[in-house]
Amino acid sequence: MARAPLTIPPEIRSRLKRLRLTTRRDMGSRGFGMHASRNKGAGLEFAQYRAYEPGDEPRRIDWKLFARSDKFFVREAEQESPVSVWILTDASASMAQADRARPDWQRIDAAGLLALCTAQLALMQGDRFGWIALRDHGLVVADPHRGRAQFERMQIELSRLEGAGGFPDAHALAPLWERIGANDLVLFLSDCFDEGGIALIERLAKAGREVLAVQLLTVEERDFPFDGGYRFLEPETGEALIGDGKALREDFLARFAAARAALAERLDKAGIRHTALVLDESIDRPLHVFFGRGAPPP
Amino acid sequence: MTPLLLAPLGLAALAALLVPLLIHLRRRTEEVPVEFAALRWLDPRPRPRSRLRFDEWLLLALRLLLVACLALLLARPAVLGWHDDTPQVLVAPGVDPAAARAAAGEDAELRWIAPDFPDVADGTPVPDTPVSSLIRQFDAELPEGTPLTILVPPVLGGVDAGQLRLTREVTWRIVDSPALPVEAAPPPAPALAVRHAEGQTAPLRYFRAAAQAWSTAPRFEAATGDALPPADQVLVWLTPGPVPQAVTDWIDDGGTALLGDTAAIAMPATTQTLWADEAGQPLVEGGPLGAGRVLRFTRPLVPAAMPDLLAPTFAESLRDLVSPPAPPPARVDAAAYAPTAGAAPYPLPPRELSAWLAVLIALLFCVERFLATRRKRFAT
Repeated sequence: MARAPLTIPPEIRSRLKRLRLTTRRDMGSRGFGMHASRNKGAGLEFAQYRAYEPGDEPRRIDWKLFARSDKFFVREAEQESPVSVWILTDASASMAQADRARPDWQRIDAAGLLALCTAQLALMQGDRFGWIALRDHGLVVADPHRGRAQFERMQIELSRLEGAGGFPDAHALAPLWERIGANDLVLFLSDCFDEGGIALIERLAKAGREVLAVQLLTVEERDFPFDGGYRFLEPETGEALIGDGKALREDFLARFAAARAALAERLDKAGIRHTALVLDESIDRPLHVFFGRGAPPP
Repeated sequence: MTPLLLAPLGLAALAALLVPLLIHLRRRTEEVPVEFAALRWLDPRPRPRSRLRFDEWLLLALRLLLVACLALLLARPAVLGWHDDTPQVLVAPGVDPAAARAAAGEDAELRWIAPDFPDVADGTPVPDTPVSSLIRQFDAELPEGTPLTILVPPVLGGVDAGQLRLTREVTWRIVDSPALPVEAAPPPAPALAVRHAEGQTAPLRYFRAAAQAWSTAPRFEAATGDALPPADQVLVWLTPGPVPQAVTDWIDDGGTALLGDTAAIAMPATTQTLWADEAGQPLVEGGPLGAGRVLRFTRPLVPAAMPDLLAPTFAESLRDLVSPPAPPPARVDAAAYAPTAGAAPYPLPPRELSAWLAVLIALLFCVERFLATRRKRFAT
């Protein structure tokens, strides 16, 4: 299926400028750079002065400059950190699901665009980023690099990605462990319906990687707007269920909410920050939830 | 006003109301395939898949109404006693339209007394219309109580022998009009074509004399054999024996034939005496045969048997016999022909509403199409 190449809409691009990729380890506690860096020297490279903002650490104020100009300035160092951002995209068949009201906006399109937004953030602050598409007929792995060329490569590859097949098993996932570094930031984009995916990020989190999970949901899964006779098809197992939409609705909504609550509890327990993105919400909403300070956009 | 149905059996078509209902319910039970990854949280227990449920009420109601209207159309709805009471003005042929307009007023609707009662503006009617018959018809078809005005010339043509006795009081107005044309010249004298047997020329002279008496340019010819004259001539068949089939056919096609007493022919059943002598004994009998007339002498054409052959009135009597009957008198002094009221009114036929119903059905259909095809319906 030919799809239009992914591009970030301008208004979302402007909203992204307010965000910064941060990990839990550098919530303003250590060092000069944006991320904890083992290579301190490189992080000391002077980049620019900027005006003091409330919240900046007092020790980062350049007092000599204050003496000369009577204004507070903060010395900013060139960002230089070995932290890489890994974007793990589920590419199983269930990700190809779209709402009937908007059939050209599949879950995997949303995942691709969200990955691109994250890459844009990483690009802006000079972090390295890479991605892995998880599918059972061969992983797509792109090792982290920084720079615009990497960004454009990602734009092209994610546009081509299609949801098909099932979720890879633990054996197929082995290459992940060689590549994802100990302190890397992992963004997991999936519908979170596959047990394999949840188990994977649980293990990643346990092994010291910081994992952020975004559950991508369709509007139909949230609202269940079916009325009349339907034949529901599970894309990965091929199971079918015939039922009347209205009769199924209440029960489904209750069960699905319970399942999401259970998932949330499980992820919380594993120390994974998580949020959900329904396909009719703004694509950058999860990033604002994770990294923003104000209220996330609708 | 009384509504009624002219063909109540047409209401049986109301059974077709079931069709949109069934289609509507059938549509509810279809299974739309839909991808749904969260299938495991759907309740797999079997449950009634579809109950009787209606949506799109408006569209369904509209379609039911459409079918009901079609059934009603088959039942031919009509209404009794719904009539137009505007005053009517009839104009007799011969009245100058301008004079009629001046007499009736500018706003009145003027109709000719002619078949179908055309508007006066639509040209003049043919002169020989059966005026009294048409007036009776118009009066009978007009609802009770509707005023009727009839404009007539001083001399009214086309009337029949009966007095005008109508169901209402009629305003009978005589409008000055150009006089009727003087009657055309009297019809020409009949032409005689005598066919006789070889050697039997004795009776010819009576007919020749009669023809000469009728006209200064007599039209008379005599021959043997059986050559038939044109249809407008009178055939005098004096050949004895059976009348050939050709002659009978000629009469059948509209000819007039006078047969001698020796001719053998089956006279028509309506045969009656047409000419009798002073003693009341029949001289000529006859009657219509097909489109023509057949007459026959009852006595031999010799003065001894039939003294009237020599009578001075023979030519006149013969002409009256063979000439086509004159038209009845049809002109009357309009003032003396004013209609009287008092005839029993006729029940009027109910007025059919099918045309209006058809318009309503067309409108309903348009609305139904609009609702059924609007984009919003396919949005979800």
